[in-house]
Amino acid sequence: MFHWLEKRPFFFAVGVFLVIAFAGLIEILPNFAEAARPVEGLRPYTVLELAGKEIYKKDNCIACHSQLIRPFKAETDRYGQYSLSGEYAYDRPFLWGSKRTGPDLHRVGNYRTTEWHENHMLNPPAVVPGSIMPAYKHMFTNKADIETAYAEAVTVKNVFNTPYGDDIQPGKEAFEKHFKSVVLPEAQKIAADMKNQDVKDAVAKGEIPEIVAMIAYLNSLGDSRYAAKK
Amino acid sequence: MDIRELQGYASFFMTIFLVVMLYGYIVYLYRSEKKGEKDYEKLGNIALDDEIDSTPINTSDPLSEEKKEQNK
Amino acid sequence: MQSNAALEYDYSVAKLFVYTTIAFGFVGMLIGTLIASQLAFPELNYLFGEYGTFSRLRPLHTNVIIYGFTLSGIWAAFYYSAQRVLKVSMAESKFVMFLGKLHFVLYMIAAVSMVVTLLLGITANKEYAQMEWPLDLLIVVIWVVWGLAMFALIGIRREKALYISMWYYIACFLGVAMLYLFNNMEVPTYFTSGGLGSIMHSVSMYAGTNDALVQWWWGHNAVAFVFTVPIIALIYYFLPKESGQAVYSYKLSLLSFWGLMFVYLWAGSHHLLWSTVPDWMQTMGSIFSVVLILPSWGSAINMLLTMKGEWNQLTENPLIKFMVLASTFYMLSTLEGPIQAIKSVNAIAHFTDWIPGHVHDGVLGWVAFMIMAALFHMAPRMFKREIYSKKLIEAQFWIQTTAVVLYFTSMWIAGITQGMMWRAVDEYGNLMYSFIDTVTVLHPYYAIRALSGVLYLTGFVMFAYNMIKTMTSSREISEEPQFRSPMA
Repeated sequence: MFHWLEKRPFFFAVGVFLVIAFAGLIEILPNFAEAARPVEGLRPYTVLELAGKEIYKKDNCIACHSQLIRPFKAETDRYGQYSLSGEYAYDRPFLWGSKRTGPDLHRVGNYRTTEWHENHMLNPPAVVPGSIMPAYKHMFTNKADIETAYAEAVTVKNVFNTPYGDDIQPGKEAFEKHFKSVVLPEAQKIAADMKNQDVKDAVAKGEIPEIVAMIAYLNSLGDSRYAAKK
Repeated sequence: MDIRELQGYASFFMTIFLVVMLYGYIVYLYRSEKKGEKDYEKLGNIALDDEIDSTPINTSDPLSEEKKEQNK
Repeated sequence: MQSNAALEYDYSVAKLFVYTTIAFGFVGMLIGTLIASQLAFPELNYLFGEYGTFSRLRPLHTNVIIYGFTLSGIWAAFYYSAQRVLKVSMAESKFVMFLGKLHFVLYMIAAVSMVVTLLLGITANKEYAQMEWPLDLLIVVIWVVWGLAMFALIGIRREKALYISMWYYIACFLGVAMLYLFNNMEVPTYFTSGGLGSIMHSVSMYAGTNDALVQWWWGHNAVAFVFTVPIIALIYYFLPKESGQAVYSYKLSLLSFWGLMFVYLWAGSHHLLWSTVPDWMQTMGSIFSVVLILPSWGSAINMLLTMKGEWNQLTENPLIKFMVLASTFYMLSTLEGPIQAIKSVNAIAHFTDWIPGHVHDGVLGWVAFMIMAALFHMAPRMFKREIYSKKLIEAQFWIQTTAVVLYFTSMWIAGITQGMMWRAVDEYGNLMYSFIDTVTVLHPYYAIRALSGVLYLTGFVMFAYNMIKTMTSSREISEEPQFRSPMA
């Protein structure tokens, strides 16, 4: 048999492929359905929060911040209840990260406020002396890409059956309607808690700076996405 | 039998199967060299003597060679 | 088969990849040094506005090093050594030649787009798979073109026995193809939403824990099939050729090949210990990571024993020095990895600087050393000139070795310090340190790492200078050297 294989590069390649594919098939596939189930009462991200998640991705926050609280006392004391698989059911992609140069953020919404984030993003060492986090001033001027976030909501609703309401529909018109009736009021609520005048002016004009979406996302990490715990 | 159980059996037997294959290959390697059918170590020279006009270790297509052997 | 006296190996494609190896290596290491310095001195974050923050630059560093420097180096060595071990010239087939050149052109387009999109923050945000879907598609095409070129070359070979290096190249091709496809399954949102938003944007097919599993199945095996498998292919060709000693045991090389293939894939879940993936899978990842020591050491010991009886070459030939140190670092990091994968060690090590420390003793010590040695070995044969300066290589060797040692020792200490401080409690069971305490304490180690970055980069600049001088103005040689590379 080995004699036969050694002489046939094609079947040799098939052999290599089977051996390396085997681990994946057994390890990953059977758990798919189970791990995809959300914990009870969890709602999907709003469009504004999704836009914030896009900024979290764009500025690659996972380079330094994890979103995974491990089941150790030292971690639950520091960050809160350890993470459950079903809490990530609406996270595409997952944002666990692999390095904690800064603290874990999986439940940051439970213990930080809009005001805290606003000051911190503008100048981290002023809020946390000794911090080596860079300031993200450009988030106060760049506009968040709400349309792309809305497109993502439509996609996950239609392709992956994420439970969004009926107002999330494809097309420009549906987007404009959703933007005016849902996204903007949500942004105004956050802007009301902020003190930066430029940000307030922009939101009043109907534009949403990145920082507003970002804070919406950070606030959503934690209990506020559970109907019961709110 | 639920999927978990299947998964467990599948991984267990595949692991056994692959371990047997790997050890079988070791036995095969040493045995065929002992019997003089093959000389694996001379393949190491492919890297050393690699001019375009140097003589290959195996010149003919191994498949056709095998057929010839069978026709004998 | 007719023999043609004028027939020669054709290195035109290999040369192109040599140039990009040097260019990407410099850029990637420069960015790496910059971001290492940013952790020690945060003011450096503001050099280029929004495009200069640590977070934006970090994926650029990893991607340029993995897909720019390392892949270029692998392909340079592939288009050089595959011809030689198959004893067939690329010039003999117009088709192979065309594929080789197409491969390079497409690769350059992808590499440049990758740099631009990552700087702009267009990213799928899965580590080492950050590129968005249009680039993913292009990469699939590049991979297929490389595969075609490889199998076409195998198809017209004169040496019918496949040398062990070819096995590793084939495994690299297949492994990355499979893993990359699975991990980058994503749905472009533009088309499913009736033309809304950015056309570049996509969402992952998998969510949460599943996504994490697929990602680390890839993440770990990107390391296996880009940083390990093809680099072993390199050392199995270049070390015997440079030293004139055949591989110590060809049988051992076959066995460690199959062992590596079988075991490596299982180890991926060791990146997810103590996370929300099922327990048995984590344990599996742990166990197989430890088993992985066997095939890894099989290869490394085989390499070291190849030098048996010829250890004097270590003092005489700096290229041998590079390669022997590379296999030593390979042994070190394949021992360190499994140690970190033990659950109780991982509880401390995960999320800390020990992990980048581990990656870098592998990448700086093993991958980059091996690629640079391969390039030095190829240069006299490609450009028909001797290597410009032996002294420069010696100096480079010591500077870079110092850099690697500084890097991993500082990160070991930093990682363990931080891991211990996170979990330290006082006599009443309260946490002893706030998070910021565990950051400020690392400053000296971050400074040492930045210094090691500067040293390694300096060494790389010396390498680049030496290579460019070799290409342009070194003394010409009339005959191709058989084993040891000539150097002035």
